[in-house]
Amino acid sequence: MKNSLRLKAGAFLTTAFGVILVSGITGGLTFAAETLPAGFKKGDLAPAPSADMIEAGKRVYFTKCVWCHGVDGAGDGPGADRLWPRPRNFNQGTFKIRHTASGELPLFDAKKPTPGQNDLFETVTHGLPGSAMPSWEGILTEEQRLQVLSFVTTELVKDRKFTDKQSESQTVLQLGDLKPIPATEESLKKGAELIVEKKCVECHGADGRGDGNAFNLKDDWGFSIQPANWHKCWNFRGSRQDPYNVKNIFRTFSTGVNGTPMPSFADNSTVEERWHIANFVNSLCEREADGTPLAIDQLTDKPKVNFVLSSGVILDNAEIPADPENELWQKRARRIIAMGGQITHKPRNFVNRIDDIWVKSLYNDKYVAFMFQWDDRTKSVAEGKLPWPPTSVNIDVKEQDPKTGEEGSIASRQNNYAVYNDAVAIETAVKWKELPAPIKPRYLFGSNEQFPMDIMKWEADGSLRAFKGTGWDKDFEERDNYEESSKLLFSEWKNGRWTVIIQRPLGNKKDQDYDEDTFFETGQYIPTVFFAWDGHNGDAGRKMAVSAFYYTFLEPPTPQEAYIYPIVIAVGVVFLEGWILMRRANKRKGKNV
Amino acid sequence: MKALMSVAALMGAAGILLLAAMTVGIVPSNTVRLIEGYMPVQVIAELTLFVAGFTGLSYMMSAMGMAFPRFWQGILFWAFLLIYLKFRIYPPIPFSVRAMYGTISLVAIFMWVSANEEDWKKFKQPIMNVLDAKTGGTKALRIGYLVIIPLLIGGFSYNAMVPKSEEPIELRTVHPAPPASTKVHGKTYTLQTSQNPYRVNPEGKYDQEYSNANIVEQGMGRLMKPNANPWDKDAQGYLKYVREGGEIFYQNCHFCHGDNLNGRGLHAFAFNPIPANFTDPGTIAQLQETFIFWRVSKGGIGLPNEGFPWASVMPPWEQHLTVDEIWKVVLFEYWHTGYYPRTWD
Repeated sequence: MKNSLRLKAGAFLTTAFGVILVSGITGGLTFAAETLPAGFKKGDLAPAPSADMIEAGKRVYFTKCVWCHGVDGAGDGPGADRLWPRPRNFNQGTFKIRHTASGELPLFDAKKPTPGQNDLFETVTHGLPGSAMPSWEGILTEEQRLQVLSFVTTELVKDRKFTDKQSESQTVLQLGDLKPIPATEESLKKGAELIVEKKCVECHGADGRGDGNAFNLKDDWGFSIQPANWHKCWNFRGSRQDPYNVKNIFRTFSTGVNGTPMPSFADNSTVEERWHIANFVNSLCEREADGTPLAIDQLTDKPKVNFVLSSGVILDNAEIPADPENELWQKRARRIIAMGGQITHKPRNFVNRIDDIWVKSLYNDKYVAFMFQWDDRTKSVAEGKLPWPPTSVNIDVKEQDPKTGEEGSIASRQNNYAVYNDAVAIETAVKWKELPAPIKPRYLFGSNEQFPMDIMKWEADGSLRAFKGTGWDKDFEERDNYEESSKLLFSEWKNGRWTVIIQRPLGNKKDQDYDEDTFFETGQYIPTVFFAWDGHNGDAGRKMAVSAFYYTFLEPPTPQEAYIYPIVIAVGVVFLEGWILMRRANKRKGKNV
Repeated sequence: MKALMSVAALMGAAGILLLAAMTVGIVPSNTVRLIEGYMPVQVIAELTLFVAGFTGLSYMMSAMGMAFPRFWQGILFWAFLLIYLKFRIYPPIPFSVRAMYGTISLVAIFMWVSANEEDWKKFKQPIMNVLDAKTGGTKALRIGYLVIIPLLIGGFSYNAMVPKSEEPIELRTVHPAPPASTKVHGKTYTLQTSQNPYRVNPEGKYDQEYSNANIVEQGMGRLMKPNANPWDKDAQGYLKYVREGGEIFYQNCHFCHGDNLNGRGLHAFAFNPIPANFTDPGTIAQLQETFIFWRVSKGGIGLPNEGFPWASVMPPWEQHLTVDEIWKVVLFEYWHTGYYPRTWD
């Protein structure tokens, strides 16, 4: 596109001044060749797909794609208004994930489904993680994926033509030929400096959690969008189901994301600089404590979840540290809690901006403490007093209408909601021992008066409250004398991440109420649910993010017997072996005699 | 016979090499894909092929004078089964279930090696050799076992006694018995006699044959029939209602059940039990349309205890949709997956 503009300008000049035509064009060409960004090569436009392919693709499109992308491919299908990010509007030919230079059409050849040489095919194959676009591999055959793309690129891309040599050009990033630079400490250090120098941090934030310019960014169609959070690489649109692969980051950084404020850095950075940045960004993605990538679930392209949250014991009546930097917290293993939107009861939350929480837990002889850490691009504290009491559940937050037209869609309303408090809550079953496993009170605020839920909620205004929940539509009840014994140990929002530590009693019959409060016991599985609210998303009441049922498990200290019995058993086995050998020897002797 | 056996042997060798390469990751682990929905049949077929292949291998080796001892055959086959269960089957099955299969196959292998006196003797021979320890090698082996077995058992028992946390296993009934009737928006629907009012031909008459003829085609991709496009402006009756049902589905349901109705929606990863996969032949294909109507209307909260109503996030859709909208969504789900609803008779 850029080069063709230059050519056009060149042609204009030649006619205007009437000077030698030939020199004008050659001049233009050499000029273009000189400015080809590093790592790129001129490519050829692919041939047009056959009419058969287009016709067959129409059938695929109207079975699978039309529901979100719309009849005319304008990204306005029935599902579009409740999605954020919105489905792609194909009409302008603006595609995000490409190997081609900024502004150019993506690579697509209906005859060549080769990885690295067919951007649109790879997008359909792997989907766009972090959005509603699924991976179609295993659902549509390779042939069908090429067919539907033939239809989309010829019939639904209306403003540009994939085969028009006059107006289109292909400048292709040679990712296959470029060797990644190893992510050494030196490379990471350079990358960390470069993201400041190249102003990446202005949008992506000082720690890369996408909190730099979280409010004002819009895409080409005027819809609110947000900078990527580098700590969740599995949500990168261009991650191609291989989120820890540094090449994906290098590609996005080199070619930009068309239609969004993310530019291409190909013109103002060397290939080497780009590798350093990609290495650094990749290094920020969440990993296990030993530095290995998180295990990713192939079915969902998200980190794998374990439903047991084990709490570590602090012996000798020592206090639970209030500082997250304390060694006890630092050494404690963390668990990822996957969060989905609450879409069971109104008001529903179709777009939950909090999609996971990291939780750690410690306990001593009196208290159990939970440390929550989650990414939230905005610190939200409601201005003034909220129009409802803290116990109120059925509050009047409107949910998104199913079909509003683009102006009322979630994508255009984002960042325009009334601001409430960021909040997190942990909900545990009361009287869980009386319920035969696996029966629990209902995940949404308990079943009834008989089997309620114990809810501890922290809000960004600094409050920590204890409620009893007796049903999804019942207002919370305040619990007597409980808040006094609980304590907010720590809360901080820094560079797009909340860290909150709350401490609560383990529960005993003398000081707490058995019918209202959860009693934690060591070695038992205590049903636990997590809730989270993002104040800038207009989250309040039931408009929130929820988790499935997890279990809190207080790890018992290792008992003495665990050291004694195995030795006894081993000695027993030695005797048994001796007996078998003796028997065999005797038998043989008998035979010989 | 020999030709047949050599084909089987070739097949067995190729199969085991491919499986090993896929497990280790030399070739992509999806080279031979497990087809969703047909996995049990495919697994049984694959195992049958492997058994045939191994029989051929063993025959060929003994024909070439390199007979493989029965003892090692048994052990290797058992090891093969365990590895197959662990690495081949996806989604992975829990250890407890694998242990069960492992025990059953161990018993089966014992029955096989002890089928007649001679086989059993041959099988026992290596064990007896070690017990008797007549050569230097077996002596060393015997001492090794003497030391290693107590250590291993001691280690295992320590491991078993150290406090650990494992996800409790909870067995949920996915399709609990439905009630005789259900009341939605003030009207009672008898499940045995109710019909989807939108399963109609263009003239507006209930017509299951017409609708069954216009669902998407089974087979890869599950695409619509060429002349049955619900987005056709002139679509009437069944197809028109399929489109309306689809609109509701993509405004409400795909968040969990997924764009392709396979239970892999945006929020699916956060929930447990995971959302139902309608493309699986074990879900809506096995159920009556009125059963789906009941499940959609009442949601997780309306389930009997064996369906884990406390954990299901399935909304009671009567709170969000009208009766007509629910019927249309049900209609759409059958259209899009290409399944016929089951009838009561």
